[in-house]
Amino acid sequence: MNGPIRHVAAALFIGMAALVVGVSWLQVIQAPEYRDDPRNARVVTAQAGRERGTIITSDGVVVATSEADPGDPQVFRRLYPEGGEYAHVVGYSTALFGNTGLEASRSSVLVSDRDSTISGVLNAVLGGDLRPRGLRLTLNHELQTAARDALAGQKGAVVALDPATGAVLVMVSNPTFDPNTLVGIDAAPVGDALVDDPDEPLLNRAAQATYNPGSTFKVITAGAALETGIAGPGTQFDDVVELELPGSTATIRNFSRGPCTDGGQVSLTTAFARSCNTIFGALGLELGAPPLVARAEAFGFNTEPATDFPAAESVIPDADTFENALAAVAQTAIGERDVRATPLQMATVAAAVANNGEVMEPYVVAEVFTADAAIESRAEPTLLARAISPATAEAIAEMMERVVTSGTGSRAAVSGVRIAGKTGTAQVPGGAPHSWFIGYGPVDPEPGQSQIAIAVVVESGGSVGEDATGGAVAAPIAQAVFARFFGRTG
Amino acid sequence: MTRNAEASLLASAAVLAALGVALVNFAGGVGFDAQVAVTFMVFIFSFGGVHLALRAWAPTANPYLFPIAAFLAAIGFTEVYRLDRDLAALQRWSLVIAAAFASFVLFLLRDEGVAALRRYRYIFLATAFILLLLPLLPTTWPIYGAEVFGSRLWVRIDLPVGARTLSFQPGEIAKVLLTVFLASYLADRHLAMSTPRRIGPIAVPEPRQLFPIVIAAAVSFMVLIYQRDLGASLLLFALFIGMMYIATAGVTYLVTGGIVVVVGGYVAYQLFDHVQRRVEAWLHPFDDFADTGYQIAQSLFALGSGSLTGSGLGLGRPDLIPAAATDFVFAAVGEEMGFAGSIAVITGYALLIAAGFGIALRARDIFRKFLAAGLTLVIGFQAFLIVAGVTRLLPVTGITLPFMSYGGSSLLANMVLVALLARISHGEGT
Repeated sequence: MNGPIRHVAAALFIGMAALVVGVSWLQVIQAPEYRDDPRNARVVTAQAGRERGTIITSDGVVVATSEADPGDPQVFRRLYPEGGEYAHVVGYSTALFGNTGLEASRSSVLVSDRDSTISGVLNAVLGGDLRPRGLRLTLNHELQTAARDALAGQKGAVVALDPATGAVLVMVSNPTFDPNTLVGIDAAPVGDALVDDPDEPLLNRAAQATYNPGSTFKVITAGAALETGIAGPGTQFDDVVELELPGSTATIRNFSRGPCTDGGQVSLTTAFARSCNTIFGALGLELGAPPLVARAEAFGFNTEPATDFPAAESVIPDADTFENALAAVAQTAIGERDVRATPLQMATVAAAVANNGEVMEPYVVAEVFTADAAIESRAEPTLLARAISPATAEAIAEMMERVVTSGTGSRAAVSGVRIAGKTGTAQVPGGAPHSWFIGYGPVDPEPGQSQIAIAVVVESGGSVGEDATGGAVAAPIAQAVFARFFGRTG
Repeated sequence: MTRNAEASLLASAAVLAALGVALVNFAGGVGFDAQVAVTFMVFIFSFGGVHLALRAWAPTANPYLFPIAAFLAAIGFTEVYRLDRDLAALQRWSLVIAAAFASFVLFLLRDEGVAALRRYRYIFLATAFILLLLPLLPTTWPIYGAEVFGSRLWVRIDLPVGARTLSFQPGEIAKVLLTVFLASYLADRHLAMSTPRRIGPIAVPEPRQLFPIVIAAAVSFMVLIYQRDLGASLLLFALFIGMMYIATAGVTYLVTGGIVVVVGGYVAYQLFDHVQRRVEAWLHPFDDFADTGYQIAQSLFALGSGSLTGSGLGLGRPDLIPAAATDFVFAAVGEEMGFAGSIAVITGYALLIAAGFGIALRARDIFRKFLAAGLTLVIGFQAFLIVAGVTRLLPVTGITLPFMSYGGSSLLANMVLVALLARISHGEGT
């Protein structure tokens, strides 16, 4: 009888040994992976109540800070003095919903090292600086507020960049939410209401939402045409009323439903300034998909943005998907169909034109500073790609300036400053169109003078409704930001 | 002399439980309070009582069984106390009652030993069946079944005093009764069952030899279908097959049993979505993180966060793990006491298994051998099953961790089980 008993005993001991192996695997080898998993609520709990560093704008306005509990100086509460204005970039740090935005991506810098872990205690004993560090953003409070006020009451987003560095000067998304309401442990109903809100206030429309770029995409189409040499600014086109698309019953028509100018010949520059769909559709057909897609990708399409805050990838279908769909090429060339871009991406396009064709990587954190306000690290501008040659950039700049001086973007004009721009009106099936404006200024900076590039999108016609166009709805918002930047009132 | 060693080990376990409670208190900012003293007294009273019963009625019993049980109970109790003080207060009562039952069993068996149980085997069998069926009683009856987390394995009685409800899990008691029955039955029949018929070189079991396996599979499958209790189902099946193998040394039983497990498991997977969900959560815990995978994912997070030395008692977040005080208590211990605590617990069970099988090997007759081996198999396999589930070695089957999980029925059954093992070891070799 003892033989089988020994076998059963051996089987159970093998089982116990397997448990030891399993536990070793989990708690020793795999432990860091599970411990730091963002879905592991302990990550958040471990930091709850600890002091977090201050976040300020480039002009010194505090947008996030920690306040000691009056009853217990060891427990801190996060405060967002500017409410919802920076909520989408800065994010929130809460006990209930975890961390988002910079509060998540820069958490290790922002959180105090003062804790009960062995390393925390050792650090304290050895006299290390346990105080949290702070962040200085590239965002400018004056410009941010100007953009917020101009967009007020409409769904949409405004992004402004410094073309030379990629520093994000403005990032506004409307509607927004007040992160202060999510901080408390009783915030569950508020959070649920935000998640369920059909207007999606938690969504950062400036970087996470993609839209058809509409006619603002013509900057890229023009860039592709100039780079390949199939057209120049003065190249003449037939001003047709309707462009028939090969292999399709669909047609492309101008916004006016008639000819773009007088029905005769029209130059590329004029077609750009008047945003002639028929001519840019024809240009797209002439170009073909590969150069168009390659140019869009050079500007940053089809690449996951490597930003500190959540940002979506802007997309254009692969060139080979257009092989038997020439109609789609024409529609893509005017920013319709399957091409989709974030406002951040389109601001990057405008910035690249301003920066002689060079695409700088967007960033929002300018500096990390210590509790003693000493600078610990500073962001280094990064060149991502050369989207177009300096000559092409100069030619497109001229065309874009014509948009503002005598084209569809006149309402973005600022007196005494040369502004370049491009409007867009992206059709939404069954609804009012999305209005776009992208642009920059000044076109010819003095040595040492800084520029600003901008993208504005207003969803579903904004305050105008069905008749909305980029020129009527989005351009004035850009103008408000330009005016504040250049110190003019309008 | 050995009884003195046992006494000091049991006292150490009581100190361990009291220290655990004190640490939890300090972590929670409560400080030293009556809970520490009450816990110490309850452990001393319970295990001290069992110890005195052993001195009186089984003085040469193995002195390591109850200290190991007390050590596991102390660690489990500390974690239950850390999770929910109300549950801990109830668990203390359960410990007193379980210890009283264990002592009472030692008293009943004081003269004849476990041999006295042999003649009641069919009463035990019938009782076990009734107990297994009890959870199916309609909810309108005074004694009624209740469903918790989708498994119907609870029985409740509304007490006439106050608005209290007494609930217990009859399956825990049934496993001990079934083990006694099987040991007794097989002690009489094992010779007849261990000679298979041969067709050429292949050994083919007689139909009457297969009969017990059919019964085993039927009972296990009934438990699985009607109570939706995967853990108890597997435990009972392993008990039947294991005992059959021990009694007959017939590999046939292992092979047939293995085939039944594979085929039955496949059929169960196809038929029952609760089985499918368990398997899905096991294979891809993070695919459906918010729903089916949540519990196992939380368990992995807890164990990973615990790492080598743990977060410290009262300093982790085991409250995030669903069923942390019951089935998933191992994950809670692993989080707060770390890899060190996990290994200590597994070692505790390994020692208990070693002691149990040692008793079986040295037992003086066949019934005692079978009973000791069966009881050890039950407790060892149950510990393995749930720890393997919690650590994602196997799908979660949902069964208590002996001595550590919160739950009176489980504690009672396992204390009685260890008392039986102790009684078998009394007078070894004489």
